[in-house]
Amino acid sequence: MALRMWASSTANALRLSSATRPHFSPLSRCFSSVLDGLKYANSHEWVKHEGSVATIGITDHAQDHLGEVVFVDLPETGGSVTKATGFGAVESVKATSDVNSPISGEIVEVNSKLSETPGLINSSPYEDGWMIKVKPSNPSELESLMGAKEYTKFCEEEDAAH
Amino acid sequence: MTSSFNYSTHLIPPRPITTQSTQRPTSQRPTASHHTTTEPNSSLQQTNKRRCKCYDMYKQVVPFAEAWSWQKSIVEERKLLVDGNEDGLDSLIVVQHQPVYTLGTASSEKNLNFDIKDSPLPLYQTERGGEVTYHGPGQLVLYPILNLRFQKMDLHWYMRALEEVVIRVLFSAFSLKASRVEGLTGVWVGDKKLAAIGIRVSKWLTYHGLALNVSTDLSPFSQIIPCGIKDRGVGSIKDLLRGSNRPSSTSGYHDEDDGKLIDIAHESLLKEFCEVFQLELCHQSISILRSPDR
Repeated sequence: MALRMWASSTANALRLSSATRPHFSPLSRCFSSVLDGLKYANSHEWVKHEGSVATIGITDHAQDHLGEVVFVDLPETGGSVTKATGFGAVESVKATSDVNSPISGEIVEVNSKLSETPGLINSSPYEDGWMIKVKPSNPSELESLMGAKEYTKFCEEEDAAH
Repeated sequence: MTSSFNYSTHLIPPRPITTQSTQRPTSQRPTASHHTTTEPNSSLQQTNKRRCKCYDMYKQVVPFAEAWSWQKSIVEERKLLVDGNEDGLDSLIVVQHQPVYTLGTASSEKNLNFDIKDSPLPLYQTERGGEVTYHGPGQLVLYPILNLRFQKMDLHWYMRALEEVVIRVLFSAFSLKASRVEGLTGVWVGDKKLAAIGIRVSKWLTYHGLALNVSTDLSPFSQIIPCGIKDRGVGSIKDLLRGSNRPSSTSGYHDEDDGKLIDIAHESLLKEFCEVFQLELCHQSISILRSPDR
């Protein structure tokens, strides 16, 4: 099932992920990109599960709403994360927000570039702005996360409600 | 984690406040649909306001660490409720602090005019956003613990709303025209910052908050670059009122009475806080916070 999803959505994913980040227009809200093949939490983090490692970051929707990220607080390698619990924080406009882990596991790598260049989260939320890599302790947790379509709808509903 | 939608036109909650024509001034940005009324017949306005627990210690000078631990424990309790799909009431803590410097998550030591290991005052590294600031007696500090799901899930909106509270207080209680400065969160009168804001959000629950200089001794600010802003100063309500050419007879009260300034600012802060966030305060005993059972 997962493989079929990958195969059929690769074209979509390429189209979306290779698109240049739309220039922010103050007059209209630009449509945030959502990548197929990733899983999403309702607190706006994404997970990319490849083999035994899952990469985690915050979504384009999240970074767009935060504005310029000026600081990223990340945990140490070797620590652990628990599903739906905070593992780090991002600061923008004098407000620091928790970032929650969509899954549980052991942290195997942390993106050290973010301490020098926190803005990578804004410019490349799904690639260079990745935050941590985790060895999932309970891969079934991934199944309860949202897929791209579901997450897109979730964002639209959340924005419409406020 | 946040949502925003042209926040500049949604400075206070979209829920309408019943309106009459108003004497109340607005802040710099247009909020045309959200005037409030001072009509005595205000029973219509009382509907739809969520209740908010208020721990009001505005005359007390409380150690920073104590108020910080109250906030954290209230937030932890709320998070459990939120995770269980129920939620409790919002809370507001109002205090003055003993002299202290606090840092935010990204705070740079470059904004300290002293060695961080050799601070002239107690120094706390906190989890809020924003740079270094000073808290001390004569400054009213508000710590709202709000669930933004009941307001607007938008951090930018929340910061603007906190600024709105102070801007209204300064005008309605002190006839001071305050403003925002784009890119510099806080409330300014001219080039002096009267109120600093720095918050933390976890699962849409806010904590930390704002600090308004009423009759604060501003000299400890000279040991830091407040909020990392080099070319602007810090002010207080007392200094601005004293420095004005307004004769004291028309200002309505005498400059020397710091306590009275604090009382007036406090009353106005609570009132404007309720208006902006559409909340009704329920005063709680402080002993609840200090109880070991919490």
